Amino acid sequence: MIVLGIESSCDETAAAVVNDQRQILAECLHSQVAAHEPYGGIVPEIAARAHLDYLDEIVAGVMADARLTFDDLDGVAATAGPGLIGGLLVGTMTAKAIAAFHGLPFLAVNHLEGHALSFRLLEDLDFPYLLLLVSGGHSQFVIVEGVGTYRLLGSTVDDAVGEAFDKTAKLLGLGYPGGPKIEELAKQGNAKSFDLPRPMIGRKGCELSLSGLKTAVRQTVARLAGDSIPSGDLANIAAAFQTAIGDVLVDRSGNAIRQFQARYPGREAFVIAGGVAANQYLRTRLSELVKGEGMRLHVPPQKLCTDNGTMIAWAGVERLRLGLTDGFDFAVKPRWPLDPHASSKGGGEVHS
Amino acid sequence: MKILAFDTAARACSAALFEDGRILASRLREMERGQAEVLLDVVQEVLAEAGASFAGLDRLATTLGPGSFTGLRVGLAAARGLALAGDLPVVGVTTFEAVAHGVTAVEREGRLLLVALDTKRGDLYVQAFDSTLTPLAEGEVLAPAACARFEGEGPLLIVGDGASLLREVFGQNSRAVRWSEAPGHPEAAVIARLAAAREPSPALRPIYLRPPEARLPDG
Repeated sequence: MIVLGIESSCDETAAAVVNDQRQILAECLHSQVAAHEPYGGIVPEIAARAHLDYLDEIVAGVMADARLTFDDLDGVAATAGPGLIGGLLVGTMTAKAIAAFHGLPFLAVNHLEGHALSFRLLEDLDFPYLLLLVSGGHSQFVIVEGVGTYRLLGSTVDDAVGEAFDKTAKLLGLGYPGGPKIEELAKQGNAKSFDLPRPMIGRKGCELSLSGLKTAVRQTVARLAGDSIPSGDLANIAAAFQTAIGDVLVDRSGNAIRQFQARYPGREAFVIAGGVAANQYLRTRLSELVKGEGMRLHVPPQKLCTDNGTMIAWAGVERLRLGLTDGFDFAVKPRWPLDPHASSKGGGEVHS
Repeated sequence: MKILAFDTAARACSAALFEDGRILASRLREMERGQAEVLLDVVQEVLAEAGASFAGLDRLATTLGPGSFTGLRVGLAAARGLALAGDLPVVGVTTFEAVAHGVTAVEREGRLLLVALDTKRGDLYVQAFDSTLTPLAEGEVLAPAACARFEGEGPLLIVGDGASLLREVFGQNSRAVRWSEAPGHPEAAVIARLAAAREPSPALRPIYLRPPEARLPDG
């Protein structure tokens, strides 16, 4: 079984071909970071136009790299939400067109499901497992019970973790995207030089709230910014911010693990996915916690954690194996929570 | 030569199959939005009605714009996807041309044809054609009042889904201005006929006529 997957929900235009033997036959990604960088964030209309400009060439490229023709495929998958509507439309229309032309099944994939199932492309990880999905648009704890079956334990009530990194980087004048820049700068800083709040720590449940932390960073920057902030202070703020995020995630993850273990005693897999999983500091902090709780940490390699087409192709394989195909009348969903029954803000929010 | 044409640039979704000078099948559904959910089903209906298949196509044709940004993306992503899937050439037609060619020669005779498309932002996408349907200038974005200047260029025939925005500018009783009976939105059947007489476009680039809305940070 071979599936072509397309990802275009935010600022990456990507495609990949994957088979059910867990082989990545080809993958390609075009990042739009340079196009959005001058604006300090993603501009939806610029993103939508770029997806249309690049996607067909990227698809042609992966098919050529995989040495396949479209008739060799068993299905065509595309991210159909959540995300920015312009990109979702470009990706799904391209996939629908290829599927229609060759009489193939079309698979409308939830971008979050792509992240949630990505580790199963690497190894045979059984359901259920605990997932922490942390990216620029999403931050949530989810029990992955099966393909299409997700139980939300908690998510952020305001900013996503990656968003907090980006906004802090902007405040510090580090540019966009901010995650890698803060991580790099924090290495030279002393986290104890500034006292930043750790919202939600000690509270029940595993919801996150990061806007207070962001405000504290803004106030700290405002207090220091007479002329310009010395680079030493910038590094110290970056380190203090990253450590605060680490403390919050460790606290919230501890609660999520206990909820997961209560529901599924003996299950021990804890998967982190999403772009923030690339952060080595946070990964180390969570690794220590998870070991202490008798769980095992699984983190996909970085290129599978950030947005990519491979995870969408793989989610397509997972869905196609179960016959979960979609019609050409499928409407994209800019908001599309993984767990439709969850009452709290379920992470279906649009990337921004 | 079998040509499949479709359009989603305005307030409709249409598809048509054309061969040897005639339309074998066509569909047009008027709709404000939701073209992405119906386009491929409409295309398949047209093929089925004509007893044709994707594999039997020789050429594709679609609208390049201007129009609703979302509509353009839906149509162009589908066209580029189908072109890639079947290694087919594509002819791109501007929305102005598609609308202009929907007007009968009798109506156009001796008049300057002004195509006015509603941008849904209070202004218009505008392009003028002579009576042989040769464009007189590039398409542009104009406020309705700014279109008054065309009145000095001779008798006018106005067409397009933005024509109603010009009623006040030209007045109901102006003898130099007439309002076309044509539908005023692009139709796949018209696009298919145009595509039969043209060379395929090397690159299928959308025509937005408006830069993305984005503001650079202060400083």
